[in-house]
Amino acid sequence: MKLKVKLYGTLSCRFSDYQHLQGMEVEIPDGATVQDLLTLLELSESQNAVAIMEGRVLKKPDKIKHGITVNIFQAISGG
Amino acid sequence: MKLIRVNMHKKTVTAESVPEDYKELGGRGLTSTLINREVPPKCDPLGPENKLIFAPGFLSGTPLPNTSRISVGSKSPLTGTIKESNAGGTASRALARLGITAIVVEGQSKQGDLNLLRIDEKGNASLVSAQEYRGMRTYRCTEKIRKTYGEKNSVLCIGPAGEYMLTAASIQSSDVDGHPCRAAARGGLGAVMGSKGLKALIVDQRGKSADTIADPEAFREAVKKVVKIVKDDHMNSEVMPKLGTAGLVAPVNTMGAFPCYNAKKGELDGWEKISGEVMADLIRKRGGKTTHTGCSQCIIHCSNVFVDKGGKYITSSLEYETIWAMGGMTAIADLDTIARLDNLCDDIGVDTMSTGVAIAVAMDAGYRAFGDGKAAIKLVEEIGSCTEIGTILGNGPAATGRYFNNTHVPVIKGQSIAGYDPRAMLGHGVTFSTSPMGADHTAGNVVGEYLEQKLDPLKVEGQVETSRYLQIAMAAFDTMGQCFMANVALLSPEGEEAFRNVISAKTGIRLGPDDFPHDMGIRVLKAEREFNRKAGFTKKDDRLPKFFYEEPLPPHNKVFVISDEEIDSTFDF
Ligand code: SF4
Repeated sequence: MKLKVKLYGTLSCRFSDYQHLQGMEVEIPDGATVQDLLTLLELSESQNAVAIMEGRVLKKPDKIKHGITVNIFQAISGG
Repeated sequence: MKLIRVNMHKKTVTAESVPEDYKELGGRGLTSTLINREVPPKCDPLGPENKLIFAPGFLSGTPLPNTSRISVGSKSPLTGTIKESNAGGTASRALARLGITAIVVEGQSKQGDLNLLRIDEKGNASLVSAQEYRGMRTYRCTEKIRKTYGEKNSVLCIGPAGEYMLTAASIQSSDVDGHPCRAAARGGLGAVMGSKGLKALIVDQRGKSADTIADPEAFREAVKKVVKIVKDDHMNSEVMPKLGTAGLVAPVNTMGAFPCYNAKKGELDGWEKISGEVMADLIRKRGGKTTHTGCSQCIIHCSNVFVDKGGKYITSSLEYETIWAMGGMTAIADLDTIARLDNLCDDIGVDTMSTGVAIAVAMDAGYRAFGDGKAAIKLVEEIGSCTEIGTILGNGPAATGRYFNNTHVPVIKGQSIAGYDPRAMLGHGVTFSTSPMGADHTAGNVVGEYLEQKLDPLKVEGQVETSRYLQIAMAAFDTMGQCFMANVALLSPEGEEAFRNVISAKTGIRLGPDDFPHDMGIRVLKAEREFNRKAGFTKKDDRLPKFFYEEPLPPHNKVFVISDEEIDSTFDF
């Protein structure tokens, strides 16, 4: 399935033609998990990537739904 | 190390050595302990009995990086509670290196009298007339002071809002470039400074009599370990230098927890336009700085320099909480307007958070339209001129709500919430309710726990415990003068141990695992809660405004669901 991925923080640096407001389209197998998507995008553990879909933070084994935008952030703290 | 007392009524300055039981304290621990002991809890915060205390952190002035926070403490005219508000910049290190543990400003000048308190390179304090600075905004004031007394001076000053004693007035602190753009903004401490008749504190940065370090070799080793942990932290090495705290705009909106339209929605229409990512692009294109050192001895550089289309300086460190208050609550999704508002607030000397929320409350009452940036700029200008509406807004959101008869006011103990809606991030509701400071953005900020997936923001489980742990830890780190960014990296058993070793090497007294941050944090919170109790605060004050329990927040359409009993168990000591 195709899905839209939006990258935040410094995660988009690796993708030279990434357009911030548009995001990018990614193809993943049906039933793929968040971990599969992170692996496909080559986002490493140390980058603290976290996926948010429909307002909820996802866990790595969570399955990605069809036709949805996945937002990927880096875990940071506030203050 | 010495403690300086300044009596504004008698115009006297005395120095005493630091009393024994304050010796292992600095920053928030010192200001709160002193206020709890010396300030009558029921006194008028703007009267002569209140005291205003400036205290560098316990580790400020040492070679440990990121220890440049200065704590300012008092009884708050905004909340009526005890208050510590800390600011970055250069003054903390400067004071510590002059061998000064705290400056206690007491009494009140005669009406019409305005002074500067100057600490020279020998650490001697003197009061100087400030009549020619009267009414001056903070940028001009700081520039004039540095021209008169030399560039090697740090300045903490108030603007017109502080002189008018408006209860959202801030104390502005000069950064490494000499701009008064860092602020001890919360709790209206600028009004206390104004009530004392003190326009500015000027501190010479050339001091060399810093506190002794008991075991310099162990100290060096311990510092190395702390630095490594802070630098290895991904947030500090990657995100903060490139986006600063503005990096939170995107995740908090996406999680539906960005209070906007006066906390009636959790996701701002057009939030991408004010995100940290867009801000960083804009700054880069215009030739500003996305990475900037705001405070002495910083190794993280979360600050930035925002410039206009022509590359001219507008403000330094456009930060998450300001973007949220000025852009989210007011629905002004335009970075140039927000930056201008940030600069105006710094210049006039008011808290950007309280002011943004106050404007949002006025907009919500129909006084101006949400999203009207020009109107917002004009309203902040009115604070600077102390017009009728300016006075209302400058006294914060609660005063604004009363004026417009709008009860939809997101304050706890009179102080506005920060940029995380308690209905979509429950833990923030615990912190906002229970912090002795009133709602606060640093006292026990939970957002990182959600992003790290340690906690589900919408489930009750674990929220009270997490808020409790973070509030205790922050009270301890605020005592040390450490900046929040570095603190966060150290919140692990390994980080805490490394930090304990720094303290132990400085004092020569070995700290056990419970001593820091836990016991230290509890000691500080106990003093603060005791003061509040004596001032008349009860459990009933540890509650969110009603609408958080009753009005569901889109997009999650949830209300705040943590029970009063659980809230009251946060500090069961
Ligand atoms: S990280 Fe930011 S707040 Fe902390 S010391 Fe550096 S510039 Fe100041």
